[in-house]
Amino acid sequence: MACMNEDGQWIVLMGLLVAVGLFFLALIINQSALVGQTTAEGVLEFPKNDIRDLRAAVFDYVDRFGNADNLSSRAVRQDITAISLERKNAVVSFSAGAPQNVSGRLLRPVTIHYNNGVTEYDETVYY
Amino acid sequence: MRADDGVMSLDFLAGFTIFMLALIMVVSMVPGLLAGLGSSGIDYDAVAYRTGVILVEDPGWPVYPPWEMNADPDDIERMGLAVSKETPNILLSTKVDRFFDATFAPDDYRSKAIFGDIPYSYNFSLNISHPWGYEVEQTGDPLPPGYGYIRRVVKIKEPGVANIDGRFASQYAIPNPGAPEWNATVRNFTVQLDFGELLDPERDPAYRIDPRTEPVRVNIDFTQYCTDSSGATLQNVTFWKKDPTRPNARFTRIPFSYDEENGDLYTLHTDGFPRSLAPGAPVNSSISLVLKPAATSQFTLDQNSILDIRFTFEDETPHTNITGIHHYDYNTTNVALPALQPAVLEVAIW
Amino acid sequence: MVNEGGQLYTMEGVAAGVIMLLTAYIVVSTTSIYTTGDTHIPDMQLEQLGSDVLAMMDTRDAHGDAKSDLVTCISTTDRSGFRAAFCKYCNMRAGSDDDLKMNAYVYYRDQESNTVKSYALDEEDFTTGRENAVRVTRWVQVSGKPSNLSVGDVDSRTQAVLVEVLLWRA
Repeated sequence: MACMNEDGQWIVLMGLLVAVGLFFLALIINQSALVGQTTAEGVLEFPKNDIRDLRAAVFDYVDRFGNADNLSSRAVRQDITAISLERKNAVVSFSAGAPQNVSGRLLRPVTIHYNNGVTEYDETVYY
Repeated sequence: MRADDGVMSLDFLAGFTIFMLALIMVVSMVPGLLAGLGSSGIDYDAVAYRTGVILVEDPGWPVYPPWEMNADPDDIERMGLAVSKETPNILLSTKVDRFFDATFAPDDYRSKAIFGDIPYSYNFSLNISHPWGYEVEQTGDPLPPGYGYIRRVVKIKEPGVANIDGRFASQYAIPNPGAPEWNATVRNFTVQLDFGELLDPERDPAYRIDPRTEPVRVNIDFTQYCTDSSGATLQNVTFWKKDPTRPNARFTRIPFSYDEENGDLYTLHTDGFPRSLAPGAPVNSSISLVLKPAATSQFTLDQNSILDIRFTFEDETPHTNITGIHHYDYNTTNVALPALQPAVLEVAIW
Repeated sequence: MVNEGGQLYTMEGVAAGVIMLLTAYIVVSTTSIYTTGDTHIPDMQLEQLGSDVLAMMDTRDAHGDAKSDLVTCISTTDRSGFRAAFCKYCNMRAGSDDDLKMNAYVYYRDQESNTVKSYALDEEDFTTGRENAVRVTRWVQVSGKPSNLSVGDVDSRTQAVLVEVLLWRA
């Protein structure tokens, strides 16, 4: 009878080992199932369209004001900064410099800064 | 003794319970296992999104000469439809036409637009909203249930056209053909393309005339310029180039198979009939030339070149009063650039 | 003898505990993963579509055009024109048209109080508040106070305003 008891323990122990092993295996496999979901989340998280839109807005601003710093240009800059912070939770700043000669064309250096807490984006572009 | 019997059956019961639960667990993991390793289901949408981005926001590779001019699909690295990488969502009509023409095999779309590890099935469709109605381009298999999908709104840029009609009669028609200085048997009319002006980097690529990627179209309403009812003989159409950056720059005739009709390089119609570039035939009503980018790329032109398209008319006595130079440029009177056409690109992947 | 029986019962207890915990974890994790993934994908598709529509409305049709359709709609407060153009672009498909609903708002900054305020550009579609709507935006610069606007306190200076569109599937 004692022998029978020890056999039973062996079965239970093996069962437990297999179960624990499968648990870790399943954890790893389930992680890879997340790939498709994280792609969709990644697209939503990364503000590509917001940044593109901001760049277009900054270029519109430069078209209109150049590197002027007067009351009305400052007001438009404040509009973009304040509304970005309020509606998109993003810290935004930008500035345009005096035109420079870049390979035969007169272009303004425009610096753009964008930070929404998750994504930070800085750019200096000649426009 | 009675207690030992009970223990034995409990051993079996416990072991079997553990086995059953482990089995249930494995079965419940099966969908996750397939989703992760088989890349099915949940990742179709991601692949469709990525394919949409490649098509809509990328001009493709190679750039010069552009991929759409490679007749052999093996020479194409990536099929993107955008005009340039600075202008996402603006598609070039020549790229669109090439993408949807029937010369590509399913494997070409898979390896040059979808880029997946497994051979996905696909369906691309483009619905263009013209002023006269909708035009649908489509390629791929019919849609099954459960496909990944993305829809992108785009605009399509179409090539410009120079319509030389009665508006220019005062400019190009010789007012007094009988005068001695016009007493020649040959009349030349030139359409001139100044690449330095056309390819000006200040110009937004979405509104640029680029003969290297888009056809050049010239329509002459010849009823305005024909002075003899038997028609004027269009001897030939020739191409001349000049590089103004060189010293002593002058126009030189570009070697080209002028007398061979080739629909891939150009089309020439006189009075509605297809001709080679050396028709030697009388024209009464219309001349229509489409010079395709495949031909322009053979001319070895750069950003400074000037290209002349010269129409030569020759009769015993002149039968036409057309002469002069028509500038193919951004003047909207000279070249009509069609407005960008809204369209919707749909990508389905399964 | 007595101790051996006790060993097995302890073992059973531990195994059963572990198994119950595992089962509960697996049931919770497998179901929750798929629901979140499924809701994110349509959001992503709608957001991309809406951004595309606004970007294309903000693209001039020809180089000679002074303003894009979007700027014209905002600066003249053309509500019906905005709705017609937006819905045309976003419901267009190769087959039958889609049926997406939208409301549009314009956010502007009041110079005096330095606060961000808004007015409804187009609020015709009825909302129950339970729609799974996405928000897409576009910057527009107008050179004065938009005309035909009943809202009084929009500044008359050149300003940047944010067009915000809520987009959802009915």
